[in-house]
Amino acid sequence: MQVFKAFMKVLRTRLSSVLPYIIVFLIISVMMSTMGGADEKFTATEMTVCIFDEDDTPESRALAELIAKDNELVELENDDDVILDSLYYTSVDMVLTISKGYSERLAAGETEGLLTTKHIHDSFAVAYMDQLLSEYVVTVDSYMAAGQDLSEAIASTERTLSQETEVTVVSEETMSNSEYFSNYFRYLPYIIISVMLNGLCPVLMVMARKDLRYRTNCSSIRLSSVSGQTFLASAAFVGAVWLIFMVAGVILNGGLFSGRAWLAVLNSLIFSLVAAFTAILVSSFDVSDNVVSLITQIIGLGMSFLCGIFVPMEMLSSGVLTAARFLPAYWYVRANNMISGVEAFSGRDVMLFMGIELAFALALAVITLLIRRMKYNRAESVTA
Amino acid sequence: MENTVVKIDGLVKRYGDLIALDHFSLEIKEGEVFGLLGPNGSGKTTTINCLLSLLSFDKGDIQIFGKEMAPTSYDIKKDIGVIMQNVAVFDELTVYENIDYFCGLYITDKAERKKCVDEAIRFVGLDDFLKFKPKKLSGGLLRRLNIACGIAHKPKLIILDEPTVAVDPQSRNKILEGIQELNAKGATVIYTSHYMEEVEQICTRIAIMDKGKKIAEGTKDQLKRMIKNTETITVEVLGLPEEIVPQVSELPHVYDCRYDGSRLTVCCSGGKHNLIRVLDVLQKNDLSFGRVYTELPTLNDVFLEITGKALRDKED
Repeated sequence: MQVFKAFMKVLRTRLSSVLPYIIVFLIISVMMSTMGGADEKFTATEMTVCIFDEDDTPESRALAELIAKDNELVELENDDDVILDSLYYTSVDMVLTISKGYSERLAAGETEGLLTTKHIHDSFAVAYMDQLLSEYVVTVDSYMAAGQDLSEAIASTERTLSQETEVTVVSEETMSNSEYFSNYFRYLPYIIISVMLNGLCPVLMVMARKDLRYRTNCSSIRLSSVSGQTFLASAAFVGAVWLIFMVAGVILNGGLFSGRAWLAVLNSLIFSLVAAFTAILVSSFDVSDNVVSLITQIIGLGMSFLCGIFVPMEMLSSGVLTAARFLPAYWYVRANNMISGVEAFSGRDVMLFMGIELAFALALAVITLLIRRMKYNRAESVTA
Repeated sequence: MENTVVKIDGLVKRYGDLIALDHFSLEIKEGEVFGLLGPNGSGKTTTINCLLSLLSFDKGDIQIFGKEMAPTSYDIKKDIGVIMQNVAVFDELTVYENIDYFCGLYITDKAERKKCVDEAIRFVGLDDFLKFKPKKLSGGLLRRLNIACGIAHKPKLIILDEPTVAVDPQSRNKILEGIQELNAKGATVIYTSHYMEEVEQICTRIAIMDKGKKIAEGTKDQLKRMIKNTETITVEVLGLPEEIVPQVSELPHVYDCRYDGSRLTVCCSGGKHNLIRVLDVLQKNDLSFGRVYTELPTLNDVFLEITGKALRDKED
């Protein structure tokens, strides 16, 4: 096992360029796992509202009381400068003016121009308040149209808008109960391809160096043995890297994978093979370490941005996604999205996507063999 | 009768229109230090590569130890040690690990390998550098490491392809002494070089190559006998009268005489006492002279006379 041992010794000298990727990724994963819980909880947002009731009628006060139920009311001097300062310094989120004649015009069936709002930014809360006020006026108008008088219509509207509906989200079983875990598998391809290109590629280049190859070919060791030991050593490296990420995943998950998570594990293993064959292909060219580093960035970042690793697929244009289909990471992400519940799950499609990844690996292997055959031009037979 | 270790018969190797080897034949006997001498591009390395089946060839036959050589002739390869022109070692491994690795390609038994590696280290004198990485070694030490990697498994046939290129004189002598020692221990050696002095120093038989052809073959003396020149006499003399040159030219065995204003050069073919006769002519004409020296023909003279050009440029 001389070749295997030499491979490992050379690899040991290259670990310094691989470990930062693994360590940084694991640190980020740990940080994501500790922050992930906050995303799962809903917190109601309370706005700070100032109401200028120019109408000052029971109907206008009823509206003010309704708003006060879920928001904090503050008083301001009715002066434009004061109002603008307050909005600018966010001591108040919204200023509502109930126009003079509000109740009369509401009773007359008018719904436009009854209320005026001022706010400085368009937050979800402000939009929600605008929607609530519009809905309030329209609902009162609807009850009145149904035959109720104004006070009855206001009472009915308050009851209607106070109703709460209990919603239970029934979702399919996902691969994990934590969102961070799906992100863990989503970002994995970038790290795996970076580690393979920075770790495996330079070692293979050393082992295939022309002068060393000549010396090996002169020796009595069989070429099949050299190839076999190199393959075995490469497989050991790929397996070790993949295993590190899986063990880290189990630890960060707080337990062994379950259900569909195993499909994600299989998907990552297949992508590791694709990354390994990419590294083997790159190693077939005589390039320097700097060029390998450049290629790592181009392939790693390129695939990550185009294929939905760094940017969710939903945010990518159809043109980009069409181009991404020609890259293996696209099919990894598609499978991962299905497994993690981002897309509707289809076992058949997941298998198809994984099959396409394997086809990429096979294609890379064939291209590598062709390039090496052309390059080495080694004498296998003597022609007479 | 000596056994034939290497037999090359009618080897032809083409690179497109270029004929690198043109019906090249060779026979090397056991125990020889065989020199393959020729200028750069004459086909020495191509011959070695074909011999080792690193390169396919168009025509011909190669036998080593009486067996047909092929890329899969592992039984032949186990007895061959190769030291290439370039230092072929792992920069990432230490001196010891490198020698152990290359020895391990031939010897799988760990104890036997350790013994061989230790012997090779002692032989090339790298005992003090075992844990050094190649990048920390000087050029001479690197060459020694390169040799240790090629001979650790104790091959019967050692092929050295220009092993002293860019090596300081001290390391060069050490390497040449080492090769002679290996030969004394029983190894047959093939040594390629374009340094004629090295080939003259260590080779028992020599083939001179040019443009892919063998232009001469034999021992040093046999090769030198092939040419007309047997002795070149040079006399430093100022103001030599014109009539002296014809007088010297008429001396027995002199076939060429030249005067360049300060040196009289006389080329002789055979015969004895040539120097005395030349000096006698000068004394009779009452001419005083400075330094006098005589040179025997070199392999460069052999090459020059056969091909009309020098083996290597002066700057080499």
